[in-house]
Amino acid sequence: MTLLAGQILNGIATGMLYALMGLGLALIAGILNIPNFAHGALFAVGAYLTVSAINAVGNFWIALVVAPLGVAVLGLVIEYAGIRRLYAAGHDYQLLFTFGLSLILAETIILIWGPVGISQLPPPILRGGIDLGFTFYPKYRLFVMVAAGLLVTATWLFLEKTRYGAIMRAGIENKEMVSLLGIDIHRMFTVAFALGAWLAGIAGALTAPIRGLSPGMGVDMLGIAFVVVALGGMGNVLGAIAAGLLIGVAQAVVAAYWTEASVAVIYLVMAAVLVVRPQGLFGIR
Amino acid sequence: MSQQKRRDILKIGALAVTGLGFPAILRAQSKDIVILGLWDQTGAYADVGPLNDRGMRMALEERDMKVLGKPIKYITRDGATQAGVSTRRAEEAIDEGARFMIGPWSSGVALAVSEVAKRRKVLHLFSGGTEDISGARCHRYSFQWAASPYTAAKTVVDNFMKANPGAKRWHLLIADYAFGWSLEKYIKEVGKDHGLEFVGADRHPLGEREFSNYVQKAAANRPDVVAMVNFGADAVGAARETFNFGLTPKVPLIMTWSSGVEELIQLAPEIRENLWVGSNFYYTADTTVAKRFAASYQAKFKTPPGYAPSSAYSMTRMLLAGFDKAKSDDTQAVIRALETLQINDVVGPMHVDGATHQTLRPYFFLRCKPKAAMKHELDLADIVATGDTPLPKEYASCKDIGGF
Amino acid sequence: MSWRTVAVIAAMVALPLLVRPALAAEIWIFAIFGLGCNLLLGYTGLLSFGQSTFFGSAAYAAGWLLKHYGVNVFVALAAGTGVGALSALAVGYLCVQRSGIYFIMLTFALNQLFYFVAYQWTSVTGGEDGMPGIPRPAMLGIDFSSPIAYYVFVSLLFLVSFWVMKRVVESPLGKILQAIRENETRAEAVGYDVARFKLLAFVVAGAFSGLAGVLYAMLFGIVPLEAIGFVFSGNVVFATLIGGSGSLYGPIIGSVVFIWLSESVSTVWARWPLLLGVAFVIVVLFFRGGVVEAWSRFLAWRFSRQRT
Repeated sequence: MTLLAGQILNGIATGMLYALMGLGLALIAGILNIPNFAHGALFAVGAYLTVSAINAVGNFWIALVVAPLGVAVLGLVIEYAGIRRLYAAGHDYQLLFTFGLSLILAETIILIWGPVGISQLPPPILRGGIDLGFTFYPKYRLFVMVAAGLLVTATWLFLEKTRYGAIMRAGIENKEMVSLLGIDIHRMFTVAFALGAWLAGIAGALTAPIRGLSPGMGVDMLGIAFVVVALGGMGNVLGAIAAGLLIGVAQAVVAAYWTEASVAVIYLVMAAVLVVRPQGLFGIR
Repeated sequence: MSQQKRRDILKIGALAVTGLGFPAILRAQSKDIVILGLWDQTGAYADVGPLNDRGMRMALEERDMKVLGKPIKYITRDGATQAGVSTRRAEEAIDEGARFMIGPWSSGVALAVSEVAKRRKVLHLFSGGTEDISGARCHRYSFQWAASPYTAAKTVVDNFMKANPGAKRWHLLIADYAFGWSLEKYIKEVGKDHGLEFVGADRHPLGEREFSNYVQKAAANRPDVVAMVNFGADAVGAARETFNFGLTPKVPLIMTWSSGVEELIQLAPEIRENLWVGSNFYYTADTTVAKRFAASYQAKFKTPPGYAPSSAYSMTRMLLAGFDKAKSDDTQAVIRALETLQINDVVGPMHVDGATHQTLRPYFFLRCKPKAAMKHELDLADIVATGDTPLPKEYASCKDIGGF
Repeated sequence: MSWRTVAVIAAMVALPLLVRPALAAEIWIFAIFGLGCNLLLGYTGLLSFGQSTFFGSAAYAAGWLLKHYGVNVFVALAAGTGVGALSALAVGYLCVQRSGIYFIMLTFALNQLFYFVAYQWTSVTGGEDGMPGIPRPAMLGIDFSSPIAYYVFVSLLFLVSFWVMKRVVESPLGKILQAIRENETRAEAVGYDVARFKLLAFVVAGAFSGLAGVLYAMLFGIVPLEAIGFVFSGNVVFATLIGGSGSLYGPIIGSVVFIWLSESVSTVWARWPLLLGVAFVIVVLFFRGGVVEAWSRFLAWRFSRQRT
């Protein structure tokens, strides 16, 4: 019984991380309506920039602020130079473009940082674990759970409670209407893509001490992000949280009883939900 | 069609034909001995391919790229860690004259390449985690350089228990594929002699990234030791999580089949405390060849050689010794020479079991050093012991190695 | 016979002289796979990111029959095409109700599902090691073990597939699919059961993918796990887009370019995926119709130049 409780806690923690990973993609898919296959690569860049920043400055917290900003800037450049021209191009070209980007980014990571994996320890203050009674749990994972929760909440607040957020939500629902109302829809797209990139970057930064870094780390994350978006609905923050938690806990519970299936279970859940409810758990349509 | 246009087309056509893969141009001169190194440069093992290449090249350069008075043509192909690509490129190289292949790194892919070797009658040397090359799928053309998993299990369990006689409760974490199951089976077999109790044995999919669930399960069993049978990024990820969850360094962690340096450098020193490692090679091995090789590798590349370049180096030396012994580069003659080969190599004295094409040689057991004891950044571990007990006959699945 | 058809036949004759017959065979197999993909992508406007589901399933099924039951080539081809069509029926049935990014994601997710089933079901598929030892039985007394003989067989099958696909897209069915691509709502309004036609397109595409899968299994003698993975799914989409999804010749050109180039460049630079990514980006930004459109644009420019 305590094993199950421990697994569920772990499922919630990984679930929050999955939600954070998927949130940026959910926003980009919802607002820009493009399949961003470069999202995993942006995540990887965030992680690698964090490691370099830590090595340069010696401080995890500074790196945690700086690295995601770097990824956001990269997002701005990508949107300006490429994505901007593709809004009318159709999903196939958007996919080809973003996939090409992901290859470029992944190979550039290898060129700069080499193909060998890297470990990054959590900051000293967050090393070790806490005895929670039913399980011994790493401090850093608890921190990530809380941090992811705060970030997701902040994004939700931004979308729900600020004027610009309301405009973005309107943009998810109906782009034509928003631009007819005189709002610069292209500026909004740029902000949305940069925001999505920033979320991917900070997810990478937070994940680095947990999963370690390797040039292919973006590919695994992309699959998870897709599942979160498909389940939670495009542009839906609460949906992303629910979806992340669902697959995190499902994975943890399955690992307790049928370990061999713990990777497949994520896709099984996704397929099962989508067959019954094509718009995901909370999607509109 | 105008004169100019015709010339343009001919020019472009000629460029295309010569520039992009016209096989005839690449065909070696008939007196060259063509050796293929099938090393992965992309895919999951992209970091290992270049290392393998280094080791193989060093062994060939020691002989000035010549053997039996003939020049050696060394070609490499990227297997991309995929069975389809690797077999295709192997066939391509064979069409270009290669009669000797070493690699690839991935054991699953190696089985596919081994089939190509059998079909095209090409000598194939491989080092890696599969019993089948010298077992159920054995045939006259393939050789396995890595130690038998039984040897690994025996070396690891016997010597760990010598150092930790009280550690009777074992939890196993195993990569879910045939080699993992073999090693699991042998660990349990050898464990019987020590009265071990296996409180848990979890199998995880290859390429798993989220190890937290397995570590929690392991912790819940309150083991005296956690032994892992996995490789590369899986091993590194699992070791990292075991540390993050506070299981290690209190509880010792064993990496039963590790590549040594390549995996250990990916872990921070704190994670390596109380980490015990079984490996096919470690660079501080006390043999003449190892010392020489480690020194020149370090001089050239500034890091000590891990399992990847060392196995490539050793396999190439084995192959060259085969040429010397056979006094011929005829494939079958070299195979016959290898079948009775005895050689002193990086791991120490090594010889081949002619009936199964399995090399019999020492397997290494290491204890990693805590940060305070490390004299320099790459002073990762001490060799505690070696073992070379071969696979007992009753487990051997290679009943008949077959003919040519 | 149009000059284009002549060009295709000329290519079929010339290719094994320029590259190894096995690589040339792979190119035509991939082109068959691309024809199926393009029926969905270019003609129906459906971006399916899970085509390898049908390709791989057919390869495993036919491989299994060839290996364990020693069936002849006809049976293997029929079985593969059938399995490809059936799996496409199942997947298509689940997917055609959705559209846009949801459709793409669902095809991807189902592909992943098939992949992990193949991964776990090691007793049948061999899991990560793949299914090796697939024979290439002789047919009508012709021995296919020689690369050239098999190449001729594959390229002839390609010609047949190409002819069939040509008939399909020029038929009323093809017209309806294109109408759906242009404006789905209008097609629905005019009275066509859009979902059923999309499903039909899926099944046909699946059949082609399945045929390609069987030929692939017999070419390499092994069904690797990646044959049912998302990388293969992506590759066929990319090759089709690069060749040009607007015509039947796009998949041919895309296949030649993609396979030949990736083979050649990979021996030169280990980081060749970087160049591939750059190529994709350039194609999207400047050559959106792929090689076919670039070629027509080039011809138009030349023609306009000659006039002045």
